[in-house]
Amino acid sequence: MDWFMEFLPRTPERLGIWIGVICTLAIYSLLYRENPFYRFFEHMYIGLAAGYSLGPLGVDVLYRYWVEPIWVQGYWAWAFVVPYGMYLYFIFSERYGWISRIVIGTLIGASAGLFFQEFSSRYLPQLNSTLQKPLWLSSANPDLTVSMVINNFLFVIILLSVLTYFTFSYEQRGGVKRFATLGRWFLMIGLGAIFGNTVMARMGLLIGRIYYILNDWLMIPIGGAQ
Amino acid sequence: MQPQTIWQRMLSIDRRWLYAILFVNIVVFLLSPVRLRAPISPPVQKFYDEIESLRPGDLVMISSNWSASTLAENQPQLEAVLKHLMRKGVHFTFISIEAQSRDISLRLAKRLTEEAGYEYGKQWAHFGFVPNLIVAIKGMVNDLPATIKQDVTGTPIQQLPVTKGVKSLKDYKMVIDITPSGTVPIWISYSPKEVRILYCPTSVMAAEAYTYLDSGQVKGMITGAKGAQEYEQLLGITGLGAPFANAISFSHVLIIFFILLGNFALLMQRLHERREG
Repeated sequence: MDWFMEFLPRTPERLGIWIGVICTLAIYSLLYRENPFYRFFEHMYIGLAAGYSLGPLGVDVLYRYWVEPIWVQGYWAWAFVVPYGMYLYFIFSERYGWISRIVIGTLIGASAGLFFQEFSSRYLPQLNSTLQKPLWLSSANPDLTVSMVINNFLFVIILLSVLTYFTFSYEQRGGVKRFATLGRWFLMIGLGAIFGNTVMARMGLLIGRIYYILNDWLMIPIGGAQ
Repeated sequence: MQPQTIWQRMLSIDRRWLYAILFVNIVVFLLSPVRLRAPISPPVQKFYDEIESLRPGDLVMISSNWSASTLAENQPQLEAVLKHLMRKGVHFTFISIEAQSRDISLRLAKRLTEEAGYEYGKQWAHFGFVPNLIVAIKGMVNDLPATIKQDVTGTPIQQLPVTKGVKSLKDYKMVIDITPSGTVPIWISYSPKEVRILYCPTSVMAAEAYTYLDSGQVKGMITGAKGAQEYEQLLGITGLGAPFANAISFSHVLIIFFILLGNFALLMQRLHERREG
């Protein structure tokens, strides 16, 4: 009886959980067949997700970085920032569309500048790591084992064959073509592994919802959860 | 009309039955007390060792960018990592580039820190939602208090004991990125070199991260619910990772069984048709 009383949507928290469960079941009802119940909740979800992000955007971004500096700290120059950003919406006007290009130009310029740093920090260490892979046992690398050497050889062969596959500047023939085909096979294996992980992630989504129904709604504790 | 063979009946089975079986399978293995032990993978071990190397009072930035849709993978990760950080007496701050994650991570952290007796403001804090991670990281590297300004409660971060004296992201020992999105390359690209980066992706994102692990740009990784299960084993705790990984494993077994059964039925049907002429 206590469980049943607790189960009922008598508090705002429980009511929220009940609504969450109804939304979950409505979305999964598509698996049975297309239906208006699903359509309604699908549209509601999209609207809610967009509306929800406006809250943190207003409190954590617009107020913190724009309203407060202008009104509380007196940095009046910030007043021009948001209207400048909003020039982007002129893209919808045939007559004044050119104004949006000023903002787009700023964004492209900033992105290009940032990419220089990204390239050096993100890709150069990988290149460095690849070039430093030892391919034989020596006294210079006392911790190196045979399995690590085999692993390094595999790494280099796979890297070179995949790079060969993506070399389109000349017609590939003979040994080069066979090496490129090997690269394609390695790519397929890599993509297969990624797809396997994708299936695991999709199962994760379903399990997350079932966990919500069991743990939060039906109040069956799972894995020591509250 | 000829009666259908058993193979034809198997091939024309309504897929909704398969969904129902999958649902029941997940419920059974979520509720089942059976817990399979997972071998600890090297990225998870490295993750654990990195956190073990921290000292009490060290500061860690947790970038929590997941929402309800990836709860099954990211929640066990976050819970296990927070428990480890608190066990070590490490201080931490949260940041979110996902609007929903701001509230989800805050609620989860509040519950876990209360259980562990961690005090908000003194040992941990939440910086709230930032919309552009690149700009936020570059700002935090140059001047963290001026970039973040205040926490979720509206307190200026210079007034919080946990971040008192913190001038830059360089004052942090580590960044832990818990995310279903491709945010870790941004942390790698723009955060200071002396700050170590640890990664908790969903399974679908993990394959791409091995290049960063190999080059040492990412020091350790917990992959999805399975990684969380391994981490819980290392910590010796019972969390969500084990039941979730159990349910995932056995749903994979079921899917593989369905694939084999479908292919077998197709093969047998073809043989049957060939025999019949």
